[in-house]
Amino acid sequence: MARTLAMFTDTSLCIGCRACQVACKQWNELGAEVPEWTGSYQNHSHFTDKTYRLVRFMEDPKPSGDLAWLLMSDVCKHCAEAGCLEACPTGAIYRTDFGTVNINQDVCNGCRYCVSACPFGVVSFNHETGTVRKCTFCNDRIHNGLGPACAKACPTDSIQFGFREELVRKAANRVEALKAMGFKDAQLYGADSKGFLGGLNAFFLLLAKPATYHLPDSPRLPQRNVVVDSLLSIGSALVVGLGALMAFRDRGKGDADA
Amino acid sequence: MLKTPGWEMMIVWYFFLGGIAGGAYFTAAIADNFGGPRDGRVARIGYLLSLPLTGLCGLLLIADLGVPTRFLNMLGVFKFWNPMSIGAWGLGIFGLFSFISSVLSFSTSEQMIGLRRKASLVGSIFGFFLAAYTGVLLSNTALPFWGDSRLMGALFLASGASTGMAAISLLLFLSGAPAGEGWGKLKKADRYSMVFELLVLAIFLALLGSAARPITSGHFAPLFWGGLVGAGLVIPLVLELVGQRVKAIAAVTAVLVLAGGFVLRYVVVMSTQS
Repeated sequence: MARTLAMFTDTSLCIGCRACQVACKQWNELGAEVPEWTGSYQNHSHFTDKTYRLVRFMEDPKPSGDLAWLLMSDVCKHCAEAGCLEACPTGAIYRTDFGTVNINQDVCNGCRYCVSACPFGVVSFNHETGTVRKCTFCNDRIHNGLGPACAKACPTDSIQFGFREELVRKAANRVEALKAMGFKDAQLYGADSKGFLGGLNAFFLLLAKPATYHLPDSPRLPQRNVVVDSLLSIGSALVVGLGALMAFRDRGKGDADA
Repeated sequence: MLKTPGWEMMIVWYFFLGGIAGGAYFTAAIADNFGGPRDGRVARIGYLLSLPLTGLCGLLLIADLGVPTRFLNMLGVFKFWNPMSIGAWGLGIFGLFSFISSVLSFSTSEQMIGLRRKASLVGSIFGFFLAAYTGVLLSNTALPFWGDSRLMGALFLASGASTGMAAISLLLFLSGAPAGEGWGKLKKADRYSMVFELLVLAIFLALLGSAARPITSGHFAPLFWGGLVGAGLVIPLVLELVGQRVKAIAAVTAVLVLAGGFVLRYVVVMSTQS
């Protein structure tokens, strides 16, 4: 296995230009979509089957009464423990040798179980192809020595691409620098490989709490309860089976019953 | 910022009919193995009902896929921890047992009947599985309510039992079966299942607390309380108590239980996605 690649999105550097969003659309040949009114500059309101990179515009009220304008270029997190990958019954969703999560469009049969298994609402169903789509981490580019289109296009280095352990180190230094500058809520999201979902291969530097960016505080693998739920179902089967057994074994009395 | 899979009526029907198919089959297997000679009719109806329903289930699942011609891709992979993956396998294997038991239910040879009984005992494991796994499938998603429900599989299994038994009961009535021993036992088994289902439902709601709001309050609440709890469980149990000997009442309760089972799948599947 090759070294794990990652994308580090430093939201403190984002200027909301959406070059990443456009570069993603162009490289991946994603069709145009009808814009929607979201109440802010943001378009669309969420990832779609044709929007893999999405610049979010958040207005966060400050204690002074002003609004902080928080910008964040959001993307598939390529989780080390990926709910979508675990949920896929066809093997279409797989982990590449670089540690990223990709969907084989020739294998996916559109059952959409992965859509419900993504803790971030990334995976989206495409009604034209009948398959599910999401960020590929520019799989074709990274296998040819290029970085993802979004990182390449970013004019402020808000999106950085590289080997994961190097980027994590860089990100930790950046948090310290920001804190020294007075951004006391500066924090990394998903950088810790011992943290939630085994760490995110697309991780973030946030300037406020994750919830401000519509990110779950501590997302968990949706499949974590399979064993408990199955055992409870088996218990239910035993009770139901025993009840039926008692009813059908109960000879003699039953004649008068009907 | 979660996304819903867009599973709609075809999946609601699949969950409902899969529950009946599984429930009817394991009821038939239990009647066949542990009942008396007069339970043969219950067993045969159960087996014969499960077969076309399983076929229909498969068709519904395939039709709901984004690319239906790729349905066999599900059988290229086996993930034992993944309800969707083992569900595809389980449905297929259950269909096989349903077919074997149905064919053998026409045989009068002792040897074949013995084989049928043994086969149906193994098959009933897959019957229980088919009724329950759809609940476990929903409870292992990232979505609220579905993912919070630890007893979804147990509840769907109990509902599969009560609706499977109700379906056999209704078919007994429609085929003009005499009010023999088999029917009485079946109705008793159905009552046990319904009482158990009510119990599981109560614990299910208690464990969920406010996470159960999508079905217990708001748009889907009247359907849930009226259609499932009232018309689908409590009223049938009361009717059974007062009118045990009246055949027509047995038919009415069976229809109510079936409708309740459908409402359960409908409110669970649709509420989270609306």
